[in-house]
Amino acid sequence: MPARTTARAARRPAAHPPRVSTPPPLLPAGVLEQVLAAGMSRGAEFAEVYVERAVTTAVSLDEGKIKSAQTGLAQGVGVRVIAGAQVGYAYSDDLDTDALLRAARTAALVAQSGGSEQTFSVSRVPTPSYYRVATPLADIEVARKAELLVRANKAARAFDPRIQQVMGTYVDTTKRIWVANTQGRFAEDTQDLCRLSVQVVAQGKNKERRTGFYGGGGRVSFGHFDTFTPELVAREAARQAIATLGAAEAKAGPQTVVLAPGWSGILLHEAVGHGLEADFIRKKTSLFAGKLNQQVASDLVTVIDDGTVANSRGSINVDDEGNPGERKVLIENGKLRGYMYDALNAKLMGEKSSGSGRRQSFKHMPLPRMTNTYLAPGNDTPEDILRSVKRGLYCAQFGGGQVDISNGNFVFEVSEAYQIEDGKIGRPVKNAILIGVGPEALKNVSRVGCDPMPDPGLGTCGKDGQSVPVGVGLPTLRIDNITVGGTRVG
Amino acid sequence: MNYQQLAKKLVQRAVKQGAQQAEAYLEVGRESSCRVRDGKIEDLTQATSKGVGIRVLVKNRLGFAYTSDFDPSSLNAFVDRAIALAQAAAPNALNGLPKASELAGKKDVVKDLFDPAVANLASDWKIKAALEMEKAGKALDPRITTFDNVGAGDSVADVYMASSEGAEGSYSGTYVFLYAVPVASDGQQLQTSYWVDYKRFLGELDSPEAIGKEAARRAVRMLGAKKVKSQKVPVIFDPMMAAGFVGAIAACANGDAVFKKSSIFAPLLGKKIAPANVTILDDGRLAKGLGTAPFDGEGVATRRTAIVEGGKLQSFLYDAFTARKAKARTTGNAARGYSSLPSIGTNNLYLEPGTRSPEELIREVKNGFYVTAMLGRGADPVTGDYSRGANGIWIENGELTRPVQEVTVAGNLLTMLRDVDAIGNDLTFRGSSGAPTLRFSELTVSGE
Repeated sequence: MPARTTARAARRPAAHPPRVSTPPPLLPAGVLEQVLAAGMSRGAEFAEVYVERAVTTAVSLDEGKIKSAQTGLAQGVGVRVIAGAQVGYAYSDDLDTDALLRAARTAALVAQSGGSEQTFSVSRVPTPSYYRVATPLADIEVARKAELLVRANKAARAFDPRIQQVMGTYVDTTKRIWVANTQGRFAEDTQDLCRLSVQVVAQGKNKERRTGFYGGGGRVSFGHFDTFTPELVAREAARQAIATLGAAEAKAGPQTVVLAPGWSGILLHEAVGHGLEADFIRKKTSLFAGKLNQQVASDLVTVIDDGTVANSRGSINVDDEGNPGERKVLIENGKLRGYMYDALNAKLMGEKSSGSGRRQSFKHMPLPRMTNTYLAPGNDTPEDILRSVKRGLYCAQFGGGQVDISNGNFVFEVSEAYQIEDGKIGRPVKNAILIGVGPEALKNVSRVGCDPMPDPGLGTCGKDGQSVPVGVGLPTLRIDNITVGGTRVG
Repeated sequence: MNYQQLAKKLVQRAVKQGAQQAEAYLEVGRESSCRVRDGKIEDLTQATSKGVGIRVLVKNRLGFAYTSDFDPSSLNAFVDRAIALAQAAAPNALNGLPKASELAGKKDVVKDLFDPAVANLASDWKIKAALEMEKAGKALDPRITTFDNVGAGDSVADVYMASSEGAEGSYSGTYVFLYAVPVASDGQQLQTSYWVDYKRFLGELDSPEAIGKEAARRAVRMLGAKKVKSQKVPVIFDPMMAAGFVGAIAACANGDAVFKKSSIFAPLLGKKIAPANVTILDDGRLAKGLGTAPFDGEGVATRRTAIVEGGKLQSFLYDAFTARKAKARTTGNAARGYSSLPSIGTNNLYLEPGTRSPEELIREVKNGFYVTAMLGRGADPVTGDYSRGANGIWIENGELTRPVQEVTVAGNLLTMLRDVDAIGNDLTFRGSSGAPTLRFSELTVSGE
């Protein structure tokens, strides 16, 4: 089924001092090795254990009040056994040793050859550190999290009397993972992640309603919100809703568009990112299969997927197969340079993992996925790019997107857009959506801004029913002749 | 473990620790699935899972916690955490669990949730079914070159509930599914499509061969797809796409959005919003329905609610809290899993079928668009704006002619409802929502 992303947009937080306390181990000593041995008991070639413990806290605000505060604990183990090209997977949310061994024996059923008693040992691999936080987010008092929302509500309503509804959500997760496999690798990581988001509804003349949405966060310390303040988030959401009151119908058909920097990077994520994931390449279901080193985009386009960006939402010290996060050039000056590999697809294709094996939780097998995907900056100033367009559409804020990786069709929802007339921003336009075929749209990129901009930390990407946090980024970009979906014809 | 007892004990502990009201929602399940590739098993997955969520009210403040760790000491700490968390929420006199009079009773039993044939389905059956789908898809046309995915699976899920207000109940359900996502190639273009079936009863499930063939037919017919000119034309949604549209309508009927005036439906209750042949129902008691259950996510008996009846906007959908705010009655539409608070959702949602065949609906169109796949979320309940990427087949003089891609269809939900000008007799469920073929007199197609 087509891959889909849903969400939104900008700033890179400073590094923070390392945590001090050492949490207790997820499993008692020796259990990982026993589980691996059970996974290999029927003669497989490879077994892997993934252990996870995730504590989530969420607070929501509605109708001017903190509606609820909640917390959750999800823990479990996933065991993967590979025999030839066949995979057995079993998971359990019971962490006692019997349950783990049972899961391993179940996963082992995929192997038929009848194995022998073997022992395995694993040794810890050093883990890089791209996102240490001062205090685990789970340990921050919930009242401080609620306070962010109370402040956001106040700021949104103070922005303009036409703001009628404010909804806010704060959510954080402190997730610990262990990954060990029969190649002897044992990696562990602690992944903190948070996000504050605000949605508003404004009402204008004749009961016209418009919405605004903004937010952000990342793998950051709670102190992130001292600079990325709830007031900043709320005012931006409110600004969008007020600015789009009185918007005109979007004109249907091909136009020149200018994309504002930041969250617009979702266009890259959809237009090319998914199509470069190794599972689709191996199965030959992506239109980018077999196009290595061919021109697939304008020579102004360089696309990078980078799991090592400091404190970014999509960053990973190690992926969910225990391999370190990497920076990968996918497209260089328009030429396709590489794909994103998890370990299984890499092995089947005779390649190496690129640290792209990610999973939503222990309930899922890893898939090749993006981390933080962005377009390298060019030479034009944003002002020059806008001035270069006589008539077109300026896309300021974006909703989600979706792609069909086989025919390459992608959509990109524009939540705040304006007509461009003689190089200047004009009237707001509503209900616009961009549609294109990935490589064609990227061949029509005619100007790339010098203003690199990561998104503010909002993106969640869905693929095969699994959601993972991602980052995107794009400088100001001009694309010629892309189809704008609208309601007005002629 | 006696899970019903456990749910009750957690509620008792919460009350003892100071909660004025408490509710436990516990789920236990197991699942198994397989995928195949090139005539061989690609992967096999088996799992067991469980979890419990507890909702508490402390001095009218709402706290919630969930866990999958059933160790007794850990469970006590989890109840206490929910109570402590409530302190961070604001007091709201309208907060509260459903009253005893609103809860499902002993008579609220629904049949046909559980099929022993699914619960005892052998792994071999699923592997064989997946292989048959792949074989049938490839046999239909040599241009089917590969599959993105093809597989089968089943699950058993049990729900247990208890509350301080007297909720007490459980049910057990089975699910079985088949899906195929083939890719067709003509050397120039790749096109994919998918076809699925998802049922509670094995006997109701389409044959693997039929699923494989239909998926392949839908992919192959898209080969050579091109854009068309931007124009306003009659547009037909196939049943899968029509079910998506009905889902967008149900989102506008969400009682919470309506109460907050964040839905275009807010001022329209009792008004005519569509032609008289449009009836949209949510039925939590539909026989063998995938979304059928004796009670909703907070223990209220499910029922049949007409959202639109004879073209009139008849009812909104409510859970207990929103109903109390809006001075309405809960419609048994609290949806949830153990790891989330209840929120308003649908049970079995569908558009009632008409009397004419889909072929007739197509035959009457001189120049129009038959939509078979879409991209994007599409609809905004606040404004009614509707805009999605669309793939399908162009209609000329009543015939399906050439494949179309890279276009969008756009309109407004209120206008679209008004412009429904024909409904097919082919009501199709692929999951818990269903619709027949649906024709709109005019939508904007954006392309060249």
